[in-house]
Amino acid sequence: MSVNGAFMRQAGAILAKDLKTEWRAREVFTSMFVFTVLVVVVFQFTIGSNPALIREVAAGVLWVALLFATVIGLQRAVQMEGEEDCLQGVLLAVQDRSALFLAKALANMIYLLVVAGCILPLFALWFRVDLTASLPDLGVILALGIVGLSVLGTLFSLIVLNIRMREVMLPLLFLPVSVPLLIASVYATGDLIDGKTLADIRDYVILITVFDVVFLVLAVLIFDYVVEE
Amino acid sequence: MAGGEKNGRPVNFWPGWYAMLTYVAMVAALWCIFVYAPTEKAQGIVQRIFYFHVSSAMTMFVAFFAVFVASIIYLWKHADWWDQTAMSAAELGVLFCTLVLITGPIWGRPIWGVWWTWDPTLTLTLVLWLIYVAYLMLRADATDPRRARFAAILGIVGFIDVPLIRWSIEKWRNLHPDPVIVQSGGTTGLPPAMMLTFLVSLTAFLLLFVFLLRQRMAIARRRHELEVLRYKVDEALFG
Repeated sequence: MSVNGAFMRQAGAILAKDLKTEWRAREVFTSMFVFTVLVVVVFQFTIGSNPALIREVAAGVLWVALLFATVIGLQRAVQMEGEEDCLQGVLLAVQDRSALFLAKALANMIYLLVVAGCILPLFALWFRVDLTASLPDLGVILALGIVGLSVLGTLFSLIVLNIRMREVMLPLLFLPVSVPLLIASVYATGDLIDGKTLADIRDYVILITVFDVVFLVLAVLIFDYVVEE
Repeated sequence: MAGGEKNGRPVNFWPGWYAMLTYVAMVAALWCIFVYAPTEKAQGIVQRIFYFHVSSAMTMFVAFFAVFVASIIYLWKHADWWDQTAMSAAELGVLFCTLVLITGPIWGRPIWGVWWTWDPTLTLTLVLWLIYVAYLMLRADATDPRRARFAAILGIVGFIDVPLIRWSIEKWRNLHPDPVIVQSGGTTGLPPAMMLTFLVSLTAFLLLFVFLLRQRMAIARRRHELEVLRYKVDEALFG
C-alpha cells in the first residue's frame, strides 16, 4: 500500500460517491437505524421490569444492536455493489485496490457512528441510564469499537459478495471473529455506565485498539487477494 | 509433491509402516491410559479422560496452526497442494475440537458439578469451533473458483484472532484448572507415570492426525483431478 496523494484522492472519491448515493437513497442508514431500534426494543421485552437487571444488560444490548446493524448495513451495501457489477467498474478505475477497501470501511464507519449517535438518546431513555457524565469517554469506546466492526465487516462483506448464500454467510463469518471486540466493548461500556473513567478501563481500550490495528493492517495486506480475478 | 504415478496408477505414498506405527501408538496409548496410569486420588477414574481431552486439544491447535501456515503459503504460491492441506487440516481441526468439547463436559460434570461453564478455555474452544465450522461452510458453499482464496483469508484471520479471543475472555472469567503439564519455572505437576501416559497418548493423537490428514488430502487431490478431467471432457465435446 502506498499512502500518497493519489491513494488518498482515490479513496476519497469512492467514499464521496458512496456517501452521495446514500444521501440520495438513505437506504442503508434507514435499515440500520430501524433495525437497531428494533433490537433495543425487543430486548426490553425479554428482560422484564427489574431495573437492576435492565441496567446490568444495557451495555450488552447496545453492542449487540450495533453488531447486527453492521451486518444489516453491509448486506445492503454489498447487494448494491453486486447489481450491474458496480464493484468491477470501480476496481478497474483505481490503481491501488486497498483504496477501495479503505473507502468502503470508512463509509460503513460513518453510517455506524451516525446510527450510534441517533440510538444513544433512545437507549439512555429506555434503559434509564444517565450518560451525560460519561459521554466523551463513551464516544471514544464507541468510535474505537466501530472502527473494528467496520474493518472486519467490510473485509468479510467483500468476500461473500460472490457467494451464493451471502446473506447467511456474512454473519456466520463475521460474528465469531468479532467476539474479542464485542467482549471488550461491552465491558468497557458497562464500566463507563457505572461511573468509571477511561483510565480505569485502560485494559479494554488497549484490547480494542490492538484488535483495530491488527485487522486493519491484515485487511489492507490481504485485500488484493479478495478482489483479484 | 506427495504420492506419484506409476504406470498411470497412483502409488500409495503411505508405506504400511506408518499406518502400523500409528496403530501401535494408539494401542499403547489405550493400555497406558486404562492399565498403566495410576488413578488420581482426588478425582478418581474420571481423571483418565484428561489424556484424551488434552491430547485432542493440542492436536486441534496443531491442525488450526497448519491451516494458518498452509493458507499463507497458498496465497503466496497459488499451489493447489497447500489449499488441499489447509482444507483437510481444517476439517480435522473441527473434528478434534468437537472431541474436546465432548470430553470436557464429561469430566466437568463430576468435578465442577456442571456440564458447561463459560470459562476462558472452554469459551475459546467453542468460538474456535464456530469460526472453523464457518470456514468449512464457506468452502462447501462457494462454487466460485475463488473459494480457495477466500477460505485462505479466513484461515489467516481466524488464527490471528485466537490470541485476541483468549485475551478478551480471560478478562471476563477464569475457572479452568491451571495447566499441569508445564508449570511456571519449567516444572511439571504430573507424576512421572501420568506424564508418560500423557506423552504416549499425545504422540498417538498426533500420528493419527497426520495419518488422517494425508488420507483426506489424497481424496481432495483425486477430486481435483476429477474436476480437471470433467472440464477437459466438456471442452472436447462442446468446445
